[in-house]
Amino acid sequence: MVNVMYKKAIYIGFFLFFPLSCVIAFAEEMINIPSGSFLMGKEPLASELLDDPVLLKDFEMDKFEVSQAAYKKVFPAFEYPPGTDRHPVSHVTWHEAQAYCEKLDKRLPSEAEWEKAARGTDGRIYPWGNKKLRKRAHPSYSGMVKRIVGFNKKDVSFYGVREMASSVWEWTTGGHLSNQVIRGGLWNEHLDYEYSKVYDRIELSPDQRFIFVGFRCAR
Amino acid sequence: MTRIFLGVLGGVATFFKSSNTAFAGFNFWRSSEYVGKTRDGIYEKFYIQYYKPFKRIKGDSWTLKITGLCEHPQDLSLAEINTLPIKSQVSRIKCVECWSAKAAWSGFSLSELEKRVKPSPEAVGVLFRCADTYVEYLALEDLHHARTLLAHTMNGQPLTDEHGFPLRVIIPYKYGYKSPKAILEIEFVSEAGRGTWNRIGPYSVDGTILPGYDHPLDRGKKRRRITGGEIFD
Repeated sequence: MVNVMYKKAIYIGFFLFFPLSCVIAFAEEMINIPSGSFLMGKEPLASELLDDPVLLKDFEMDKFEVSQAAYKKVFPAFEYPPGTDRHPVSHVTWHEAQAYCEKLDKRLPSEAEWEKAARGTDGRIYPWGNKKLRKRAHPSYSGMVKRIVGFNKKDVSFYGVREMASSVWEWTTGGHLSNQVIRGGLWNEHLDYEYSKVYDRIELSPDQRFIFVGFRCAR
Repeated sequence: MTRIFLGVLGGVATFFKSSNTAFAGFNFWRSSEYVGKTRDGIYEKFYIQYYKPFKRIKGDSWTLKITGLCEHPQDLSLAEINTLPIKSQVSRIKCVECWSAKAAWSGFSLSELEKRVKPSPEAVGVLFRCADTYVEYLALEDLHHARTLLAHTMNGQPLTDEHGFPLRVIIPYKYGYKSPKAILEIEFVSEAGRGTWNRIGPYSVDGTILPGYDHPLDRGKKRRRITGGEIFD
């Protein structure tokens, strides 16, 4: 009898935690961004302001934004609504995002790293190219509707990094005065949304927590 | 028949349009004992949005009812409200329909009321019930935010009926529909609730201002990018 209950517990445990483990493993996949130079900034400003293209060593970038389940695995006190394991984490400060990355021997990307992972070396203005996507960026709703990370299969960068022009904005190490820079989310106007361009940037106080700000890590 | 109807409709529209031009500043509500939505006259610089027209509130008979999960539910008169420690700030209201407008606001923080009524530990938020039958919910976390105000004064004067006399919320990092006006009752509740706007349209419960575009009325509606959260300029 005890043996049967023991087996049942193992089965239940397997079915409860295996999917969550898969979710976390899926979310932790990283993509190698090779060393070399790339054009950074807003065209045609890039060619006017930058005498030389920006040169970066090779690095790795999370393929997906950090999910709620992945964040909770590192910070168990973090709470989120049931059924939103695979939604991108949000309401985290810059310091919390940095702490998460460091716990996994990673770090937040610099602005240059973020932008190179998004646009590659051909100076494109969206992660997928230069044309606007016909796919709607977001439902007609005044607030952020989060979907599972990787939901937008069209928003794929030069190197295969996902959702760098949609979903949540992402903390980087770039900053000015006391602010930190976020990259790659959506611009809202009433009930309409547009994808951000790879050079769009927003400065925010690092202590702010917003539903529209998440992050991904680099290494 | 349709042509006649459309002709009459066009005539009426032309009349009202020319009336507005000829009597700049005139609007129906200002001349009546009711107050409601308007964008005419001085309100071209600060649009007025109400859910439904309502009879103007008389300050001497108005009381703020504080109910729900608190130890000492009570009614406070306008005179009592005006004795609470004053907090002032300049902040911009950003409407979800794109416009924004800025003013200097004075009032008090919710914590001043909480000292009197002592909310129960299980209270997580507040439902505001307003004279225009509008209802809005705000979490205590948001109501305790340093930039959130229960305002009774605008630009150094008591709120006008249009701007929410005698008491309104100012929560500048959320869209204007989260700043209820002409408040009649504050109810402490144990579960997050929904507001009128969220129930009737595609408007989020959260109401946080997203990165996007703003058309400030005080700058000729010239479109500009905003970063999300409070607009500080």
